Amino acid sequence: MPGAKFDIAYLFDYFPKLLSTLNVTLTIVSLSILFGLGVGFLVALPRLYKIPVLRRLSEVYVSFFRGTPILIQLFLIYYGLPEMLKLVHIDVTRTPVLVFVVLTYSLHAGAFISEMIRAGVTAVDRGQAEAAYSVGMNGYQTFTRIVLPQALAISLPVFANLVIATLKDTSLAFTLGVMEMTGKADTLITLGQHYIETYIDLAIIYFVISFALERLFRLLERRLLRHERRERTAGKRFGRNVPSLRGLLAESAGVPKGGAGG
Amino acid sequence: MIRLRRITKFFGRNQVLKDIDLTVEKGEVVVILGPSGSGKTTLLRCINYLEKPNAGEVAIGELAVDCKRPSKKDIQALRRKTAMVFQHYNLFKHKTALENVMEGLVVVRKLAKEEARERSVRVLEKVGLGDKLDAYPSQLSGGQQQRVGIARALALEPEAILFDEPTSALDPERVGEVLEVIRNIAKEGITMIVVTHEMGFARDVANRVVFMDGGVIVEEGDPKIIFSRPKEERTRQFLKRITPEANYSI
Ligand SMILES: Nc1ncnc2c1ncn2[C@@H]1O[C@H](COP(=O)(O)OP(=O)(O)O)[C@@H](O)[C@H]1O
Ligand SMILES: [Mg+2]
Repeated sequence: MPGAKFDIAYLFDYFPKLLSTLNVTLTIVSLSILFGLGVGFLVALPRLYKIPVLRRLSEVYVSFFRGTPILIQLFLIYYGLPEMLKLVHIDVTRTPVLVFVVLTYSLHAGAFISEMIRAGVTAVDRGQAEAAYSVGMNGYQTFTRIVLPQALAISLPVFANLVIATLKDTSLAFTLGVMEMTGKADTLITLGQHYIETYIDLAIIYFVISFALERLFRLLERRLLRHERRERTAGKRFGRNVPSLRGLLAESAGVPKGGAGG
Repeated sequence: MIRLRRITKFFGRNQVLKDIDLTVEKGEVVVILGPSGSGKTTLLRCINYLEKPNAGEVAIGELAVDCKRPSKKDIQALRRKTAMVFQHYNLFKHKTALENVMEGLVVVRKLAKEEARERSVRVLEKVGLGDKLDAYPSQLSGGQQQRVGIARALALEPEAILFDEPTSALDPERVGEVLEVIRNIAKEGITMIVVTHEMGFARDVANRVVFMDGGVIVEEGDPKIIFSRPKEERTRQFLKRITPEANYSI
């Protein structure tokens, strides 16, 4: 077996060291998701509204970023983009690596998010938009007030998966030398050769964050889909004597009953 | 009040409306009858431009819109003069009964929240749903949902309300409560165009019955006359099919 002998003390020793770079990891995740949402929207629109040329472009973009490994996307953007920009006399050699990393993850997430939005919007019944038009709303009001909220509620589970996948994918950024958590782990291993201890810590941290995110999204989903629950009247009338589905769900998630109401 | 002139509508190569002329006076209740596929829904949807006619003119009050080149503003204006009640209710699923009714008042009519709320509560009480303000559509029966749909239309105080088979998706025992609400509105003198297969309702409430078939208006007139002595054979056939006991006495 490579490396130093297993020593449990290192489990505790490395934990805070790894955590000190958690903010870098979370920064990459949140910026990427944020920009990804913007990109995803812009890319989804031409396909939703069937705009001739733009629609093809976004299709190509989406299939590229969905169809190639993120590691290769990282390398292509980190090494390739500066070369391309050189052709138009833009020098990015002094740009921090983190910018390329966030750019890659944003584009990657954007591709998935655009698919998510497209699927969500398509899943909303046409009658919803027609009702909105019939009361006199314009296209923008209809989209933002009626269609989008419902599409987002439908898309939330997919979005949750994407955020968690992005969190795990950020571990690849260390290949470009970024000091996020996995990068830090790499350094610790080089110094101390304590492979197992480091990777156990790393796994625990990633797992805990993923788990917390999952819970958070499930709460959010319940809130956004509260209009789809039917037992509300029964649950209210009989108070807590009759356990309602809603009550049980809320309890299992450790939130006070009715917390999802509003 | 509502004036449709030479309305033509194609779906692909299928001509669904053929030069339809129809005028509805202020306060009139017009019932449209006709076999399935005759173009009733399409005609109704052309009035508020959920469907864009290929040719003709839609006029409501002072506003006349040439269907060859309608501006966005015209379409918006037509929609604001009308309201629609849908066969499948089409309530905003993520909004409560109250929010469904308030939405148009706040977003389109720009009423202050409080005022919109008061008016919405009043209208919901009128359709018998004063105790369901905070219920989501999924928590309501079909009949209750459709009454919210009617309240949503009514609250806008439109110049005309368009009903597309408002009771045909309901369980039979729920039809009565919805028809009752529509009857009451009709009494208030609101202009209405109602597509329905409820013959009793048509007979009692309509000022005029329009019979459509194959994308044209076959005949129209006073319900008493249409139901007892239709001029056209096609009308006779249709009435016979839809009311097997058609030989009721007048
Ligand atoms: N969106 C559409 N696309 C293509 N054909 C349609 C569409 N809507 C309606 N039609 C066709 O138009 C005809 C009239 O339909 P419709 O107005 O719904 O009739 P009705 O309401 O009288 O049953 C039917 O033949 C129907 O198949
Ligand atoms: Mg129809």
